[in-house]
Amino acid sequence: MMGAMPESEYDVIIVGSGAGGGMAAHVLTHAGARCLMLEAGDWYDTARESKWLEWGYDAPHRGTTDDEHAYGGFEAVVGGYHVDGEPYTCAAGTHWKWFRSRMLGGRTNAWGRISLRNGPADFKPHSRDGKGFDWPISYEDLAPYYDKTEELIGVFGSAEGLENLPDGKFLPPPAPRCYELLIQKACRELQIPCIPSRLAILTRPMGDRPACHYVSQCYRGCRMGSNFSSPVVLLYPAQQTGNLEIRCGAMVREVMTGPDGRAAGVSYIDKEMGQEVQVTGKVIVLAASTCETVRLLLNSRSSRFPNGLANSSGLVGRYLMDTVMSDVTGWVPSLMNLPPHNEDGVGGMHLFVPWWNYERQRLGQLPFSRGYHIELSGGRSGMPAPGLLTGSESLLGGGYGKALKQRSRSLYGSLVSFHGRGEMIPNEDSYCELDKSTVDRWGIPVLRFHFRWSDQEIQMARHMQETFQQIVQTMGGKVIESYGADQRWGISEGGEGIHEVGGTRMGSDPATSVLNPHCQAWDCKNLFVTDGAPFVSLSDKNPTLTIMALAWRTSEYIASQMRTHAV
Amino acid sequence: MKNAAEQSGSSSTGLRFHRRAMLKMMMALPVAGLVPRASFAEAARSLVETVVMPGGAASWKLRALTPQEWTTVGVLSDWIIPADDESGSATDAGVPEFIDDWLDFQRGELLAEIQGGLAWLDTECSRLHGSTFVNCTSDEQRQMLDRIAWPERTAADDAQGVAFFSRFRDLVLSGFYTSEAGIRYLPYVGNQPQRGWQGCPAPVVAQLGVTNVALPLEQTLPSQGAVRPLTPSQLSARVR
Repeated sequence: MMGAMPESEYDVIIVGSGAGGGMAAHVLTHAGARCLMLEAGDWYDTARESKWLEWGYDAPHRGTTDDEHAYGGFEAVVGGYHVDGEPYTCAAGTHWKWFRSRMLGGRTNAWGRISLRNGPADFKPHSRDGKGFDWPISYEDLAPYYDKTEELIGVFGSAEGLENLPDGKFLPPPAPRCYELLIQKACRELQIPCIPSRLAILTRPMGDRPACHYVSQCYRGCRMGSNFSSPVVLLYPAQQTGNLEIRCGAMVREVMTGPDGRAAGVSYIDKEMGQEVQVTGKVIVLAASTCETVRLLLNSRSSRFPNGLANSSGLVGRYLMDTVMSDVTGWVPSLMNLPPHNEDGVGGMHLFVPWWNYERQRLGQLPFSRGYHIELSGGRSGMPAPGLLTGSESLLGGGYGKALKQRSRSLYGSLVSFHGRGEMIPNEDSYCELDKSTVDRWGIPVLRFHFRWSDQEIQMARHMQETFQQIVQTMGGKVIESYGADQRWGISEGGEGIHEVGGTRMGSDPATSVLNPHCQAWDCKNLFVTDGAPFVSLSDKNPTLTIMALAWRTSEYIASQMRTHAV
Repeated sequence: MKNAAEQSGSSSTGLRFHRRAMLKMMMALPVAGLVPRASFAEAARSLVETVVMPGGAASWKLRALTPQEWTTVGVLSDWIIPADDESGSATDAGVPEFIDDWLDFQRGELLAEIQGGLAWLDTECSRLHGSTFVNCTSDEQRQMLDRIAWPERTAADDAQGVAFFSRFRDLVLSGFYTSEAGIRYLPYVGNQPQRGWQGCPAPVVAQLGVTNVALPLEQTLPSQGAVRPLTPSQLSARVR
């Protein structure tokens, strides 16, 4: 808590430079607001630093990294599940994994670019099946912002008119790869839809950004700027307005509040200088990433807000969610010995399977209430990496010498993988809080996680396993990697989806939510959240597009409130 | 297209020096693919001692393996991926260097498993033939491999050796198929910027018996001109 505040230097202070912070900066600077952006990581320029087109054999460890640290490989990530000096803890029985990317643009540099709209049912899940909670807004509220976001960032896809999968403003989709056509054929026999995917990758030029050049390396960052990342599409144009200052290496410790209870500014550690710095602003936007935003609020304690800022409901950190994941890999003999062809394509699937069992769920014929979609990979797409053509016992049958060499080559391109990505229903046992006994290297208390899948999610993972195995068999293939009941059907650990959302959920009642329907803190009207923390549910749709559409809507509201001096 | 020897020789880094030497040595031997292993191993060992160990600019400095293990890894790798008329061998492709680096990178259980397996191999060879694996004759080496290379026809007593060899074979395949030579052998023909996306080629569509419903993007796109990265002025940060 501070005493007399100097006049605010900035109209808006934005914490975080990823999808949510980037969109807030883009909208607010274009509306004329003077913005300061604070990013905990270093500057990152994909045009210079991307490992674009580099061969694995020219890179350390063939361009790979280990499970904990993502830095140093081809992936455009600085961080990973382990960030030096920034620990987190888990309660007994919890195996939460928290992926962080400490760099300008955050995880938008390496993300999968999958851009699916939430459908009408995804905003009203409680109304649909009595579980979880409804959002205080509807699809119609967000639809115009989905339109604008897609038109700004560029998303390819196809109009399908499917239930709860709204079509968008799409660029034309790339033609399917060979193995995807074979999957599509099997799905047709099983009456499962298999349609063009929807990714934030340009298939036509857009402004200065050329169309994709199809080397399947989006995860390395694109030197061409042909895919969406926050710096290329949002931050650099925001800087062109003259209204944006970006400070990197700024690890925010807390939001400071004045005697009137309003947010006055933020206090951060300048990591290079090792100094504490305070800046003031009229409006504070938190987009530090879901859990980091929660941590910031919980660490912003004062006599007026003893349990942390915006936490009079006690719900900050509650209802943490992540995507339900389970995978199957199959070997498909008809894909063996195909004529050599370039199957790279875009950096992601060209076809995917949206959820198709709404009617069966309405009829109560499935033991779980929510949906999942299937992401596809396999074939000859992408540069060979360690692990390729291994798994010798099940596929190669053993051996050595010339016969093994020829047999292993004949297997190239014949594997396909199915990645289930499903909706988790928020539960009381999944949350994060401050760990009172652990601080990071700057002395900031760290998060302690609690996480549990319910039987709903386990049953969904079982359905994924059974369905994917059925598709492999329909393709004439053999399942070579799958999971049974004793492995909980291969369900992921919480956090591994890297889709963590919730923790400052929005709502229409201050007693049961942290933010109002404009993502404005009930307790502090010049404080807003624009990352994944406001999410009330996590549909099977990957969250980034919704984060950006919601951030656009929130930022327009902030601009309108600033014009009328309401905040 | 270059042959394997030229590919190896044209590589820019000095790391490949001793592999080129090995390659020349092997090419001088009478029967391709049936290299007398004892003499090869002897020569390889002397190379390891003279080239790898002193750590000069042109050498591969061992990161995880001992010189003796390194020699065994080279011999085993070439039993798994030998040279043929389409590509060089595993050692030509730098697989031992890949394995040494990978074991150093991963450490932990994998390193212990591989080192333990190499020791098992030498112990078993010494017990049967009175010499380590690399000093056994080619026939003795082949007999040994036939005991552990086929998981489904192996005696229970050899389970340790089988587990090791399966893991080792995976490492060799990983190293070979991510090398320049292995990528040409597959062949992986990507990592080449494209002006448009053609989709699945018609002959493959026909072979698979599938229906290609979508238009290739080239038919829907105007010509883009040359593929080029954005210029600094297009993609630069004005303020740091």
